Amino acid sequence: MVPLSWYLLLAAALFAIGLYAVMARRNLIGMLMGLELMLNAINLNLIAFWRYLSPATVRFRVLAIIVLVVAAGEAAVGLALIVAVFRLRETENVDELNLLRW
Amino acid sequence: MSQYALIGVYLIIALIFGVAPPLLAWFLSPKKPNPYKGEVYESGIKTFGPTWIRFKPQYYLFALAFLVFDVEAALLLPWAVAYLWLPLYAVIEAVIFILILVFGLVYVWRRGWLTWM
Amino acid sequence: MEQEIFQLSYLQAIVPELLLLVVGLLLLGVDLVLPEARKRELSVWAAAGFAIVALASPLAYLGEPQFVFGGMIGSEPLNAIFAFIFAMAAFLVALLSRDDERLEPSGVYYALIAFAVIGMDLMVAATDFIMLYLALELTGLSLYLLSAYDRRSRFSVEAGMKYFFYGSVASAVMLYGITFIAGLTGQTLYLGVRYLFASAVMPAWFGMGVLVLILAGVGFKVAMVPLHTWAPDVYEGAPTPVTAFLSVTSKAAGVMALMRLLVWIWGSLPSHAEMTSLIAALAIVTITLGNLFALRQKSFKRLLAYSSITQAGYVLVGVTALSPMGLTAVGFYLAIYAVTNIAAFTVLVLVSNRSGSDWLRDFVGLQQRSPALALALLVALLSLGGVPPFAGFVGKILLFAAALKSGFVWLVGAALANVLISLYYYLNAVRMAYTRAEEPVEPLSIPVASRWVLVIATAGIILGTILAYPLYHLLERAAMVWF
Repeated sequence: MVPLSWYLLLAAALFAIGLYAVMARRNLIGMLMGLELMLNAINLNLIAFWRYLSPATVRFRVLAIIVLVVAAGEAAVGLALIVAVFRLRETENVDELNLLRW
Repeated sequence: MSQYALIGVYLIIALIFGVAPPLLAWFLSPKKPNPYKGEVYESGIKTFGPTWIRFKPQYYLFALAFLVFDVEAALLLPWAVAYLWLPLYAVIEAVIFILILVFGLVYVWRRGWLTWM
Repeated sequence: MEQEIFQLSYLQAIVPELLLLVVGLLLLGVDLVLPEARKRELSVWAAAGFAIVALASPLAYLGEPQFVFGGMIGSEPLNAIFAFIFAMAAFLVALLSRDDERLEPSGVYYALIAFAVIGMDLMVAATDFIMLYLALELTGLSLYLLSAYDRRSRFSVEAGMKYFFYGSVASAVMLYGITFIAGLTGQTLYLGVRYLFASAVMPAWFGMGVLVLILAGVGFKVAMVPLHTWAPDVYEGAPTPVTAFLSVTSKAAGVMALMRLLVWIWGSLPSHAEMTSLIAALAIVTITLGNLFALRQKSFKRLLAYSSITQAGYVLVGVTALSPMGLTAVGFYLAIYAVTNIAAFTVLVLVSNRSGSDWLRDFVGLQQRSPALALALLVALLSLGGVPPFAGFVGKILLFAAALKSGFVWLVGAALANVLISLYYYLNAVRMAYTRAEEPVEPLSIPVASRWVLVIATAGIILGTILAYPLYHLLERAAMVWF
């Protein structure tokens, strides 16, 4: 059987890739995809822990479903904001969203 | 093992059924090419404008509404699976949850966001 | 640890949240059927709803501290007190939104406020990591949409966008930390995790590592350095009443969630001295950074944004104490800070209704245009600056005393130095308001709703001092439950 640590490493790698996408991408949709990737990595982590360490616990599966649903909610809010930005500015490029500066 | 063999046989037959008719048609049909036949067909009207256009933002609004309602169903799945063993309060909770979703649907509908403009 | 998942009596513990849900859905429904001309009435409906919730919030305490719903949340006096504070803040902001001429609040706007308050109530009450995450997300999602509410304003939409990306990443990092806690301990209940930490089943480095991940989510809400970068931009871009709301409430909810995590779980780690020094260091950096940036702002809205980062830093000084005294002081200060900041933002809304911008120089001659408004600004800013006899002074004394008692002398010294620095920009704004304008000015009348907001908020600032002792006593008794 594949050891638990492999799953954890995979999840960590996916999480890092997602984080990198959010920070380095200049396209709003691309950033949103990175965010979703992070949440999927988290779910993978969770399910791996559940399967290997405490298969009898229901809590983990419930949490996994909740994460799925919250991710969908986040995607919906994010897309709605992107549509609003696009209608106003005709752009999806973050570098052009520079009105607010410190 | 024999069950896998059955699936294999099934796959092969399915493939033959799918691939044979076009192949037969290609072999048997007469070929008289002319330039009009080579044109892109789109509901009988000539294509105009570039095909690589952006979708209207409204397309995304439909997608959003669909996405939300679709994924909320994920919460109902475990509830439905365990339905027979559930205490009464769990059933009532889920009904309230569904009612809130219905309210959301009615809201979107009454707002007129479901009509394509 | 076994706990009933459901009993009918548990519903009483979430009465404020249930009422808020009903208020939110009703507002959405009324918004559908109300003709366009009567949309302004919605603010009165919303304010009435929030007032009812505030009055009903004491019900959330079941008479003795206990866990409800399978340990997901607790029923404690402190939760009821904060449910009251949040509902009052929503009430004041609903009235204030009515008078902001650049904002056209609809039913969705007030419903989002109601849903955000549900999230914040649950953030304070959460005693389980799953509930903490859900509450954090509910608060966040509502607030992202609220900051982008003015869809015709580029600033507002951009603020919502930034808030969304920063916030979602922060909560994802926190969730990643939660999966490690849940995975390796098999527990999501605070008390279960605490037991495993305290009995040293889990090594200390693991506890500290996970704490850093979880701090990302909660620290984001508090706008604690280094997670503060979103705050000035969002505060400036969002509609002013929304800024008033989120700078007050989501911060308070974040601080309370953080304090509970630290007291209940990480305080039980055998080596929690390092952890408190970490929080202390973050606190002092937060205070100083907010101050230094606030000093050079020309926009009053942005000044208040940086000042609210600083204020959160003062609260963190109380958090480091990790004692009943610290918790009492934190609760006291957050309540006072809520009314004070809302008062300051109300003045800003009324002034910028006329001038159309948020610049500090618009305040010149305010005393001639409306003496009452100038006086309200004076009281609010002096209270934020910690000048006696206003409530902000009492709050700061309590926070610093708690930190001193826990032995953080250097921290209190540095914080005191910062209080002096912050006086410069608070007094500068007051000086502007009391400077005579060179050209003749037109008088500024205060609309009815805002008048009420100002009266209630200013009364809160002054009563906070007069009634300091009974308030402190009440909070102290509530705080003892945690220890």
